[in-house]
Amino acid sequence: MSLVVYSVRSRILFSLVGLVLPLFGYAQEIANKQIDEVKVTGFATEHFMAGLKVQKIDSATLARFQFQTLADFLQFQSPIAFKSYGSGQLTSISFRGTSAMHTAVLWNGLNINSPMAGQTDFSTVPVLGFDEMSIQYGSAASCVGTDAVGGSILLSSVPKWKQKGTNFTIGGQYASFDNYNGQAGLRFVKISKSGLQFSGKTLLYGSQFNNHFNATERTDNTGRTYPIEPSETAQKGFIQDLYLKKKNGNTLSLNIWLTDNKLAIQPDVIAFREITQSKAYRVLSAYQFGNTNVKAGFIKDILDYGTGDFLNPSHSETDRYIARAEHEFSIKKKDSFQQTSLRIGGEFVHYVAKVDGYGGGSITESRQDVFALLRQQFTQKLTASLNLRQAFSTRYVAPFTPSFGLEYAVISNEKTQIKLTGNIAKSYRLPTLNERYWKVLGNINIQPESGLNKEVGANWKQVVSANLNASLGVNVYHNLIDNWTYWNPDKGYRVENLQQVLSQGFEITGSIKYLKDRILGGVLATYAYTDASQQKVYDVYAVDIIGKQLIYVPLHTLTGTAYVGKGDWSLNVQGLYNSERFITFDHSGRPFPSYFIVNSTVSGKIHFGKIQSNLIFQVNNLTDTVYPSVRKNAMPGRSFSLGLVFSGNVFNH
Amino acid sequence: MQFNSIYVRSLAVVSLFLGLNACNSTSEPEPSQPYDTGVFVLNGGNFFDNNGTISLYNPTTKTISYDVFQKENTRALSGGVAGYTEVDGKGLILVDNSTNGSDAVEIVSARTFKSVATIKDLENPRSVIKASTNKAYVVCWDVLNPDYSYKLGYVAVIDLTTNKITKKIPVQNGAEGIVIVGNEAFIGNTSYSGIKTITVIDISKDEVSGTVASAGAASNLIVDANNKIWCTIGKEIVRINPTSKVVETRLTAGTSTTKSPRNLTLNANKTAIFFEYSFSDSSDGYKQKGDIFSFNISDATISTSTSLIKRAFTGFGFDAKNGIIYGGITPSYKQAGYVIRYQTNGTLIDSVKAEIAPNGFLFK
Repeated sequence: MSLVVYSVRSRILFSLVGLVLPLFGYAQEIANKQIDEVKVTGFATEHFMAGLKVQKIDSATLARFQFQTLADFLQFQSPIAFKSYGSGQLTSISFRGTSAMHTAVLWNGLNINSPMAGQTDFSTVPVLGFDEMSIQYGSAASCVGTDAVGGSILLSSVPKWKQKGTNFTIGGQYASFDNYNGQAGLRFVKISKSGLQFSGKTLLYGSQFNNHFNATERTDNTGRTYPIEPSETAQKGFIQDLYLKKKNGNTLSLNIWLTDNKLAIQPDVIAFREITQSKAYRVLSAYQFGNTNVKAGFIKDILDYGTGDFLNPSHSETDRYIARAEHEFSIKKKDSFQQTSLRIGGEFVHYVAKVDGYGGGSITESRQDVFALLRQQFTQKLTASLNLRQAFSTRYVAPFTPSFGLEYAVISNEKTQIKLTGNIAKSYRLPTLNERYWKVLGNINIQPESGLNKEVGANWKQVVSANLNASLGVNVYHNLIDNWTYWNPDKGYRVENLQQVLSQGFEITGSIKYLKDRILGGVLATYAYTDASQQKVYDVYAVDIIGKQLIYVPLHTLTGTAYVGKGDWSLNVQGLYNSERFITFDHSGRPFPSYFIVNSTVSGKIHFGKIQSNLIFQVNNLTDTVYPSVRKNAMPGRSFSLGLVFSGNVFNH
Repeated sequence: MQFNSIYVRSLAVVSLFLGLNACNSTSEPEPSQPYDTGVFVLNGGNFFDNNGTISLYNPTTKTISYDVFQKENTRALSGGVAGYTEVDGKGLILVDNSTNGSDAVEIVSARTFKSVATIKDLENPRSVIKASTNKAYVVCWDVLNPDYSYKLGYVAVIDLTTNKITKKIPVQNGAEGIVIVGNEAFIGNTSYSGIKTITVIDISKDEVSGTVASAGAASNLIVDANNKIWCTIGKEIVRINPTSKVVETRLTAGTSTTKSPRNLTLNANKTAIFFEYSFSDSSDGYKQKGDIFSFNISDATISTSTSLIKRAFTGFGFDAKNGIIYGGITPSYKQAGYVIRYQTNGTLIDSVKAEIAPNGFLFK
């Protein structure tokens, strides 16, 4: 068997090399005609995502919602559906109708999805943990790797070289239901006489959500009643980022992010108590010299689950050792828009898992990736990208994942910009460790999932007047995912590559922004239509579920933000509408009803001499909407919070 | 009934005030209520979705009403359904929520399914039975230990005149399944408990009065026409004498090394027992496979050479009034299951879509 696997692997490797080599030739050919080699400053993958929708979240928004978790934050920023087990509890993502395992979550380029479950619990990731964020829609496996089937969430730490001296921040937040947040940190930049620049950030944060709702149930206006589940969540974290930049731009960096999240359900009765504690230690070191970037990373994920006294919990520990090297050839033709960027690289990840559920002992596994990403700007109007990636494992053949994207600017002048985009991409998801090694139920022969995503988009930006900008964008996609894994209840929940899921839909995003002097106002809204369903008949009863909307995926989603501001003060109102969500494959029983929630935020700055204070007053679930969690418990009603963050310059040189 | 419609209406109103005693105060014909007859299908639901339901199947019109508790009370059961029985005009639904401390017994009027009371002070209710007039016993595991082993279980005594738990009688670990013979209740175990005794409770005192040494975990307890208890212990079906409290007969269910008997069900006159003889097939993706067989309570051996139905079920029941076998099918815990009906000779009659995980029936 392994012989066959290896021969298939080598054939794929060969064909990949065969595809990459002509690219080198092409680059070389261009290089011969070129004059300039361009220096690569950032190593952002987004550069090669031509034709894909990438939504950048601005730093002001991140600052405004710094006390939130990604789960609470993201659902208002984009039409992504979340599946929540309750306030402060497991919250998993469904991007464009796909499952929680089909969104890659990258921290400084590393996939931080749990290798056991293949997903991220967004309730354990605070917005404070990173400096920049992008939401990338659709398959980008060729750029990002495994899991980037429905989309990717890209989180990065960024040095602030322009900052002078050392800045401190210290802040806290008090919210309804006896919930607290706190943070303290320093950020500094130092420049030596020899021109060596040193920059860093240290941040400690923590929160305690007691969730004292003072009620046992909530009833909506149709009489539907949901119990309130008593729960407590304690979260703490530590961030250390260090950057050393030489005069020639070569940069050495170290990023550390430690998180600890402890959730207790029924916290007050020991016999009833159920505790889930997840810890993650993430360390990444990178060195960029010239157009080469090498990275070494280590991630340890610890998960303890237990009931009662929590003395002998079920323990899981997975270590990941990651090494990545990339080099970019970037050449630009003089006096022309023509520019070619070719990035080649490889990644090696070694896993060591000690998981009680795998039956004791430690399990090791290694996975490798090689990739070649090519971006070609032909004219001012036309850009294309061709990306190739192949993952390897000793156990299975991962699909070869090429992608091709195009961007064409139909109109591009000072007032009007109209751009058409298109992308076709293969994607894949490697099996999780649970799928492969879970005692009895896992399947060592489980195969990777593979997808084919096609999408087109149009984007129109218009300068209406000197103070008024507007934009409108439409993206339509068709994503077919095969070998979709299924823990089959008919077989005692053993996992199989059983299903095939088609997710198709579109997103319409519109915005209006007004800015005059110190007055700011605007609206940003996205509507998404997501039609995702199982396609394959695998047993006699699967007929009942074919073609039906997947569970917990709303067909219609609308998210919007409206804001007004003057000077340092602003009012921000966010809305979210989800249409009804089915909770059974065959749509039997009663679906979760549609719901609409509104949050509002007033934020402003007050200066006390050299110290600046940021004030954030939030009212969440303004309309006190009653809606259920996955376990049919009530999600929280209206809540208030007041946050204050002081910042200032110290040790100014 | 048209001519006395005013009377019917007034009685309905009065009966609301007088509660259950109303029906005893008059010899006049009572109005029929929607839940007077039919087959209650207990749908366990998907554990973490807390979405157990009860459906009512009408065998005459062959129609089924879904989630009748929600229909009558505009609120859903907040957990899986672990059992249902009726005691003196009231129905007791055992509700098992995935969060500890949230289990319940929902008490409804048996004829209207309108909620009467909710009892919350119990954990992991497994079985319910009428103990005596206006008294029900609910067998509970209590919460599991952190290592998922069973604590000592208890039998919650529910007084249906006050709808309160009056006592919790401690019984063995993993207690599950209960039958009543005379003035005594016999409490079995889940087959995973490792407990080898049946606890006996004196119903008049609500106290443990003794035990039966059962040589293994006694599950699927039933009482036959001769007032003898039958249950499964491992691969055997055994008969227990409730008077002498000893195992009288041990019958090997079959010769298979993999299959075990489960779902013991009595026929109409309680002289024959249907049972499922099944196993999880490791050579075919661990599907539960098996057959339904039957034997007579006077048989000296059990023959598994000719099966009645070539199928395994997640729930099994026998409609004694109409002589029809009901089997529950669960394709997955995220979609509706089916109820398949057979004649007593195993001939397929028809099937109807139920709700999630049909695992029990109550015929009235």
